[in-house]
Amino acid sequence: MLYFPQLSSGATGQFPIQKTRTARTIVNQSVQDYEIKLADPGAATTEWQISFAEMNDQELAALEALFQATEGRLTSFTFVDPTDNLLSWSQEQNQAVWQADPLLALTAGIADPMGGTGAFQVTNTALAVQVLQQSIAAPASLKYCLSVYARSEQTTQLWLVRGSEMIAYTISPEWVRLTSAGQLSSEGDSISFGIALNPGTTVDVFGTQVEAQPGASLYKQTAETGGVYPNARFRDDVMTIATVGPNRHSCQMNIINVEYL
Amino acid sequence: MFPILKTGAVMQYPGKRMLQFSTDIVRFLDGTEQRYRDYPALLHRWVIQLDLLDESELAAYDQFFVSNQGSFGSFSFTDPWDGTVYPNCSLAKDTFGFEVRGEMRGKTTVTVCENRT
Repeated sequence: MLYFPQLSSGATGQFPIQKTRTARTIVNQSVQDYEIKLADPGAATTEWQISFAEMNDQELAALEALFQATEGRLTSFTFVDPTDNLLSWSQEQNQAVWQADPLLALTAGIADPMGGTGAFQVTNTALAVQVLQQSIAAPASLKYCLSVYARSEQTTQLWLVRGSEMIAYTISPEWVRLTSAGQLSSEGDSISFGIALNPGTTVDVFGTQVEAQPGASLYKQTAETGGVYPNARFRDDVMTIATVGPNRHSCQMNIINVEYL
Repeated sequence: MFPILKTGAVMQYPGKRMLQFSTDIVRFLDGTEQRYRDYPALLHRWVIQLDLLDESELAAYDQFFVSNQGSFGSFSFTDPWDGTVYPNCSLAKDTFGFEVRGEMRGKTTVTVCENRT
Protein backbone atom coordinates (compact mmCIF):
# COMPACT_ATOMS: atom_id res chain seq x y z
CA MET A 1 0.00 0.00 0.00
CA LEU A 2 1.43 3.34 -1.05
CA TYR A 3 0.75 6.17 1.35
CA PHE A 4 1.87 9.73 1.90
CA PRO A 5 4.61 9.67 4.56
CA GLN A 6 4.70 11.58 7.80
CA LEU A 7 7.57 13.80 8.82
CA SER A 8 9.73 12.65 11.69
CA SER A 9 7.64 14.89 13.95
CA GLY A 10 4.60 12.79 13.06
CA ALA A 11 2.98 15.60 11.09
CA THR A 12 1.69 15.08 7.56
CA GLY A 13 2.11 18.70 6.54
CA GLN A 14 3.52 22.02 7.60
CA PHE A 15 1.82 25.39 7.65
CA PRO A 16 0.68 26.93 5.40
CA ILE A 17 -1.66 24.33 3.93
CA GLN A 18 -4.22 25.13 1.27
CA LYS A 19 -7.19 22.92 0.59
CA THR A 20 -9.66 23.42 -2.23
CA ARG A 21 -12.81 21.46 -2.93
CA THR A 22 -14.48 21.61 -6.30
CA ALA A 23 -17.96 20.39 -7.17
CA ARG A 24 -19.74 20.30 -10.51
CA THR A 25 -23.27 21.54 -10.88
CA ILE A 26 -25.11 21.51 -14.18
CA VAL A 27 -27.36 24.55 -14.40
CA ASN A 28 -30.20 25.13 -16.80
CA GLN A 29 -30.99 28.83 -16.54
CA SER A 30 -34.10 30.43 -17.93
CA VAL A 31 -34.32 33.99 -19.23
CA GLN A 32 -36.23 34.89 -16.08
CA ASP A 33 -33.28 33.60 -14.05
CA TYR A 34 -35.03 30.53 -12.78
CA GLU A 35 -32.55 27.72 -12.45
CA ILE A 36 -32.81 23.97 -12.61
CA LYS A 37 -29.74 22.41 -11.04
CA LEU A 38 -28.32 18.94 -11.24
CA ALA A 39 -25.46 17.82 -9.04
CA ASP A 40 -22.66 15.70 -10.44
CA PRO A 41 -21.04 14.23 -7.32
CA GLY A 42 -18.72 12.01 -9.34
CA ALA A 43 -16.89 15.05 -10.67
CA ALA A 44 -15.95 16.38 -7.24
CA THR A 45 -12.27 17.00 -6.56
CA THR A 46 -10.27 17.90 -3.50
CA GLU A 47 -6.85 19.43 -3.78
CA TRP A 48 -4.15 20.23 -1.24
CA GLN A 49 -1.11 22.41 -1.60
CA ILE A 50 1.41 21.45 1.03
CA SER A 51 4.76 23.11 1.55
CA PHE A 52 7.64 21.48 3.35
CA ALA A 53 10.60 23.40 4.70
CA GLU A 54 13.68 22.27 6.61
CA MET A 55 13.19 18.60 5.84
CA ASN A 56 16.02 16.27 6.68
CA ASP A 57 17.44 13.65 4.32
CA GLN A 58 15.21 10.83 5.57
CA GLU A 59 12.03 12.89 5.26
CA LEU A 60 12.92 13.97 1.74
CA ALA A 61 13.86 10.39 0.80
CA ALA A 62 10.44 9.15 1.91
CA LEU A 63 8.68 11.77 -0.21
CA GLU A 64 10.89 11.06 -3.19
CA ALA A 65 10.32 7.33 -2.83
CA LEU A 66 6.58 7.84 -2.94
CA PHE A 67 6.84 10.13 -5.94
CA GLN A 68 8.92 7.55 -7.77
CA ALA A 69 6.67 4.67 -6.76
CA THR A 70 3.59 6.46 -8.05
CA GLU A 71 5.47 7.59 -11.16
CA GLY A 72 4.33 11.13 -10.62
CA ARG A 73 0.63 11.53 -11.22
CA LEU A 74 0.21 8.11 -12.84
CA THR A 75 -0.87 5.96 -9.91
CA SER A 76 -2.67 6.62 -6.66
CA PHE A 77 -1.75 6.51 -3.00
CA THR A 78 -3.48 6.92 0.34
CA PHE A 79 -3.47 10.44 1.71
CA VAL A 80 -4.61 11.36 5.20
CA ASP A 81 -5.80 14.95 5.24
CA PRO A 82 -3.81 16.93 7.82
CA THR A 83 -6.65 19.43 8.15
CA ASP A 84 -9.47 17.01 8.81
CA ASN A 85 -10.89 14.44 11.20
CA LEU A 86 -10.14 11.02 9.72
CA LEU A 87 -13.34 9.48 11.06
CA SER A 88 -16.56 9.88 9.15
CA TRP A 89 -19.92 10.47 10.84
CA SER A 90 -18.15 11.71 13.95
CA GLN A 91 -21.44 12.51 15.67
CA GLU A 92 -23.71 9.81 14.27
CA GLN A 93 -22.76 6.52 15.81
CA ASN A 94 -25.81 4.81 14.31
CA GLN A 95 -24.23 4.99 10.84
CA ALA A 96 -22.92 1.77 9.31
CA VAL A 97 -19.27 2.89 9.49
CA TRP A 98 -19.43 2.44 13.27
CA GLN A 99 -19.16 -1.12 14.50
CA ALA A 100 -20.85 -1.50 17.86
CA ASP A 101 -20.72 -4.70 19.84
CA PRO A 102 -24.23 -6.17 20.12
CA LEU A 103 -24.96 -5.33 23.74
CA LEU A 104 -24.07 -1.66 23.57
CA ALA A 105 -27.07 0.67 23.86
CA LEU A 106 -26.66 4.04 22.11
CA THR A 107 -28.74 7.15 22.72
CA ALA A 108 -28.20 10.27 20.60
CA GLY A 109 -29.10 13.88 21.30
CA ILE A 110 -27.28 14.27 24.62
CA ALA A 111 -26.00 17.69 25.73
CA ASP A 112 -22.39 18.16 24.63
CA PRO A 113 -19.57 20.31 26.04
CA MET A 114 -19.87 22.82 23.16
CA GLY A 115 -23.40 23.77 24.18
CA GLY A 116 -25.18 21.64 21.60
CA THR A 117 -26.79 18.24 21.66
CA GLY A 118 -24.26 16.33 19.59
CA ALA A 119 -23.16 13.93 22.31
CA PHE A 120 -24.44 10.39 22.65
CA GLN A 121 -24.79 8.05 25.55
CA VAL A 122 -23.35 4.55 25.51
CA THR A 123 -24.39 1.86 27.95
CA ASN A 124 -22.78 -1.53 28.19
CA THR A 125 -25.51 -3.97 29.15
CA ALA A 126 -23.27 -7.01 28.77
CA LEU A 127 -21.14 -8.87 31.28
CA ALA A 128 -18.00 -8.33 29.21
CA VAL A 129 -16.19 -5.34 27.74
CA GLN A 130 -17.99 -4.00 24.67
CA VAL A 131 -16.42 -1.89 21.93
CA LEU A 132 -17.69 0.86 19.64
CA GLN A 133 -15.20 1.53 16.89
CA GLN A 134 -14.64 2.66 13.34
CA SER A 135 -12.08 1.30 10.93
CA ILE A 136 -10.32 3.60 8.49
CA ALA A 137 -8.50 2.53 5.34
CA ALA A 138 -5.19 4.10 6.26
CA PRO A 139 -1.86 2.50 7.13
CA ALA A 140 -1.68 1.28 10.71
CA SER A 141 1.98 2.22 10.94
CA LEU A 142 1.42 6.00 11.00
CA LYS A 143 1.34 8.09 14.15
CA TYR A 144 -2.24 8.78 15.14
CA CYS A 145 -4.01 10.70 17.85
CA LEU A 146 -7.47 9.63 18.94
CA SER A 147 -9.36 12.19 21.01
CA VAL A 148 -12.79 12.10 22.54
CA TYR A 149 -14.78 14.11 25.07
CA ALA A 150 -16.31 11.94 27.77
CA ARG A 151 -18.16 12.12 31.07
CA SER A 152 -20.12 9.81 33.31
CA GLU A 153 -22.59 10.35 36.16
CA GLN A 154 -20.49 8.05 38.32
CA THR A 155 -16.73 7.94 38.31
CA THR A 156 -15.87 5.07 36.03
CA GLN A 157 -13.38 3.84 33.47
CA LEU A 158 -13.46 4.34 29.73
CA TRP A 159 -11.05 2.66 27.35
CA LEU A 160 -9.71 4.36 24.24
CA VAL A 161 -9.04 1.89 21.45
CA ARG A 162 -6.30 2.76 18.98
CA GLY A 163 -5.60 -0.25 16.82
CA SER A 164 -4.40 -3.04 19.05
CA GLU A 165 -3.76 -0.68 21.95
CA MET A 166 -6.33 -0.01 24.66
CA ILE A 167 -5.76 2.59 27.36
CA ALA A 168 -8.07 3.07 30.35
CA TYR A 169 -9.02 6.51 31.63
CA THR A 170 -11.01 7.47 34.68
CA ILE A 171 -13.86 9.84 33.94
CA SER A 172 -16.19 11.77 36.23
CA PRO A 173 -19.34 13.92 35.80
CA GLU A 174 -17.22 16.73 34.32
CA TRP A 175 -16.53 16.66 30.57
CA VAL A 176 -12.91 15.89 29.87
CA ARG A 177 -11.06 15.44 26.58
CA LEU A 178 -9.16 12.17 26.50
CA THR A 179 -6.41 11.48 24.01
CA SER A 180 -4.52 8.40 22.98
CA ALA A 181 -1.61 9.02 20.66
CA GLY A 182 1.29 7.05 19.31
CA GLN A 183 2.57 4.75 16.66
CA LEU A 184 1.92 1.03 16.45
CA SER A 185 4.29 -1.52 15.03
CA SER A 186 1.47 -2.99 12.94
CA GLU A 187 1.82 -2.88 9.16
CA GLY A 188 -1.85 -3.35 8.27
CA ASP A 189 -3.71 -1.41 5.61
CA SER A 190 -6.44 -0.35 8.02
CA ILE A 191 -6.73 0.59 11.64
CA SER A 192 -9.65 0.88 14.05
CA PHE A 193 -10.36 3.58 16.60
CA GLY A 194 -13.05 3.78 19.21
CA ILE A 195 -14.02 3.34 22.81
CA ALA A 196 -14.60 0.33 25.05
CA LEU A 197 -16.81 0.16 28.12
CA ASN A 198 -16.56 -2.07 31.14
CA PRO A 199 -19.67 -4.13 31.99
CA GLY A 200 -22.56 -2.15 33.41
CA THR A 201 -21.12 1.31 32.74
CA THR A 202 -22.78 4.28 31.06
CA VAL A 203 -20.82 7.16 29.55
CA ASP A 204 -21.61 10.28 27.52
CA VAL A 205 -19.28 10.70 24.55
CA PHE A 206 -18.75 13.56 22.13
CA GLY A 207 -16.32 14.70 19.47
CA THR A 208 -14.60 11.49 18.48
CA GLN A 209 -11.67 12.50 16.34
CA VAL A 210 -8.64 10.85 14.78
CA GLU A 211 -5.76 12.74 13.27
CA ALA A 212 -2.53 11.51 11.75
CA GLN A 213 -0.35 13.60 14.04
CA PRO A 214 1.07 13.33 17.55
CA GLY A 215 -1.46 15.57 19.30
CA ALA A 216 -5.11 16.53 19.10
CA SER A 217 -6.28 19.72 17.46
CA LEU A 218 -9.70 21.32 17.82
CA TYR A 219 -12.60 19.00 17.18
CA LYS A 220 -13.88 18.89 13.60
CA GLN A 221 -17.30 17.42 12.97
CA THR A 222 -17.57 15.19 9.92
CA ALA A 223 -20.42 13.62 7.96
CA GLU A 224 -20.11 11.07 5.18
CA THR A 225 -16.57 12.04 4.27
CA GLY A 226 -13.70 11.61 6.67
CA GLY A 227 -10.18 12.74 5.97
CA VAL A 228 -8.85 9.52 4.43
CA TYR A 229 -8.38 9.54 0.66
CA PRO A 230 -7.29 6.10 -0.58
CA ASN A 231 -7.24 7.21 -4.21
CA ALA A 232 -5.23 10.44 -4.07
CA ARG A 233 -2.61 11.36 -6.63
CA PHE A 234 0.09 13.89 -7.20
CA ARG A 235 -1.29 16.63 -9.38
CA ASP A 236 1.95 17.11 -11.26
CA ASP A 237 4.59 14.94 -12.91
CA VAL A 238 7.32 17.21 -11.58
CA MET A 239 8.69 17.34 -8.06
CA THR A 240 10.98 20.28 -7.40
CA ILE A 241 13.32 20.08 -4.43
CA ALA A 242 15.38 22.95 -3.09
CA THR A 243 18.35 22.12 -0.89
CA VAL A 244 19.70 25.05 1.09
CA GLY A 245 22.32 23.15 3.06
CA PRO A 246 23.26 19.72 4.37
CA ASN A 247 20.16 17.91 5.57
CA ARG A 248 17.99 20.96 4.79
CA HIS A 249 15.51 20.49 1.98
CA SER A 250 12.24 22.07 0.98
CA CYS A 251 9.59 21.31 -1.59
CA GLN A 252 5.97 21.87 -2.37
CA MET A 253 3.52 19.13 -3.25
CA ASN A 254 0.15 19.40 -4.93
CA ILE A 255 -2.11 16.47 -4.16
CA ILE A 256 -5.46 15.86 -5.74
CA ASN A 257 -8.31 13.45 -5.09
CA VAL A 258 -10.66 12.98 -7.98
CA GLU A 259 -13.83 11.01 -7.29
CA TYR A 260 -14.35 9.68 -10.80
CA LEU A 261 -10.88 8.16 -11.19
CA MET B 1 -27.91 25.44 8.23
CA PHE B 2 -25.31 28.03 7.29
CA PRO B 3 -22.35 27.86 9.69
CA ILE B 4 -21.83 30.61 12.21
CA LEU B 5 -18.58 31.51 13.91
CA LYS B 6 -17.92 30.71 17.56
CA THR B 7 -18.56 34.36 18.36
CA GLY B 8 -22.08 33.93 17.00
CA ALA B 9 -21.34 36.14 14.00
CA VAL B 10 -21.90 35.14 10.39
CA MET B 11 -19.49 37.59 8.80
CA GLN B 12 -16.38 39.57 9.58
CA TYR B 13 -15.43 43.03 8.37
CA PRO B 14 -15.13 43.93 5.56
CA GLY B 15 -18.55 42.53 4.73
CA LYS B 16 -19.82 42.90 1.23
CA ARG B 17 -23.34 42.51 -0.10
CA MET B 18 -24.80 43.11 -3.51
CA LEU B 19 -28.29 43.86 -4.67
CA GLN B 20 -29.16 42.84 -8.18
CA PHE B 21 -32.01 43.66 -10.53
CA SER B 22 -32.27 42.37 -14.06
CA THR B 23 -33.19 45.02 -16.60
CA ASP B 24 -33.07 44.56 -20.34
CA ILE B 25 -32.75 47.54 -22.65
CA VAL B 26 -33.86 47.70 -26.27
CA ARG B 27 -32.31 50.68 -27.99
CA PHE B 28 -33.97 51.99 -31.15
CA LEU B 29 -32.46 53.63 -34.23
CA ASP B 30 -33.60 57.10 -33.17
CA GLY B 31 -31.72 56.75 -29.87
CA THR B 32 -34.70 56.17 -27.68
CA GLU B 33 -34.83 53.06 -25.62
CA GLN B 34 -37.28 50.82 -23.92
CA ARG B 35 -36.43 49.19 -20.66
CA TYR B 36 -38.18 46.24 -19.13
CA ARG B 37 -37.66 43.83 -16.30
CA ASP B 38 -36.54 40.28 -16.99
CA TYR B 39 -38.07 39.51 -13.63
CA PRO B 40 -39.33 41.72 -10.83
CA ALA B 41 -37.31 40.26 -8.00
CA LEU B 42 -34.41 41.92 -6.25
CA LEU B 43 -31.75 39.29 -5.64
CA HIS B 44 -29.09 39.50 -2.95
CA ARG B 45 -25.56 38.25 -2.80
CA TRP B 46 -23.17 38.25 0.16
CA VAL B 47 -19.39 37.89 -0.01
CA ILE B 48 -18.22 36.54 3.33
CA GLN B 49 -14.50 36.98 3.94
CA LEU B 50 -13.29 35.19 7.02
CA ASP B 51 -9.90 35.33 8.68
CA LEU B 52 -8.32 33.95 11.85
CA LEU B 53 -10.67 31.00 11.92
CA ASP B 54 -9.87 27.98 14.01
CA GLU B 55 -9.88 24.42 12.70
CA SER B 56 -13.42 23.68 13.89
CA GLU B 57 -14.85 26.72 12.15
CA LEU B 58 -13.05 25.88 8.91
CA ALA B 59 -14.22 22.29 9.12
CA ALA B 60 -17.80 23.48 9.50
CA TYR B 61 -17.58 25.45 6.24
CA ASP B 62 -15.85 22.52 4.54
CA GLN B 63 -18.61 20.13 5.58
CA PHE B 64 -21.25 22.66 4.60
CA PHE B 65 -19.77 22.82 1.08
CA VAL B 66 -19.69 19.01 0.86
CA SER B 67 -23.24 18.56 2.14
CA ASN B 68 -24.52 21.17 -0.34
CA GLN B 69 -22.54 19.63 -3.20
CA GLY B 70 -21.19 23.05 -4.08
CA SER B 71 -23.73 25.38 -5.62
CA PHE B 72 -26.33 22.64 -5.99
CA GLY B 73 -27.94 22.70 -2.56
CA SER B 74 -30.11 25.45 -1.15
CA PHE B 75 -30.46 26.77 2.38
CA SER B 76 -31.88 29.71 4.24
CA PHE B 77 -29.54 32.58 5.00
CA THR B 78 -30.05 35.37 7.49
CA ASP B 79 -28.81 38.72 6.25
CA PRO B 80 -26.43 39.89 8.98
CA TRP B 81 -27.19 43.54 8.18
CA ASP B 82 -30.89 43.48 8.95
CA GLY B 83 -31.78 39.98 10.14
CA THR B 84 -34.00 39.23 7.17
CA VAL B 85 -34.21 35.52 6.44
CA TYR B 86 -33.84 34.58 2.76
CA PRO B 87 -35.19 31.05 2.51
CA ASN B 88 -33.75 30.05 -0.86
CA CYS B 89 -30.03 30.71 -1.15
CA SER B 90 -27.08 28.76 -2.52
CA LEU B 91 -23.36 28.90 -2.53
CA ALA B 92 -22.41 30.95 -5.56
CA LYS B 93 -19.46 28.82 -6.66
CA ASP B 94 -18.64 25.19 -7.17
CA THR B 95 -15.27 25.77 -5.53
CA PHE B 96 -14.41 26.19 -1.88
CA GLY B 97 -10.88 26.67 -0.65
CA PHE B 98 -9.17 27.64 2.53
CA GLU B 99 -5.68 28.30 3.73
CA VAL B 100 -4.33 27.41 7.15
CA ARG B 101 -1.30 29.55 7.96
CA GLY B 102 -0.97 28.30 11.52
CA GLU B 103 -2.98 27.15 14.48
CA MET B 104 -6.26 29.10 14.60
CA ARG B 105 -5.16 31.08 11.56
CA GLY B 106 -7.43 29.85 8.81
CA LYS B 107 -8.69 32.03 6.01
CA THR B 108 -11.46 31.56 3.47
CA THR B 109 -14.08 33.37 1.42
CA VAL B 110 -17.63 32.17 0.80
CA THR B 111 -20.15 33.79 -1.50
CA VAL B 112 -23.85 33.22 -0.90
CA CYS B 113 -26.44 34.14 -3.50
CA GLU B 114 -30.19 34.33 -3.28
CA ASN B 115 -32.04 32.16 -5.79
CA ARG B 116 -35.07 33.19 -7.75
CA THR B 117 -38.16 31.52 -6.30
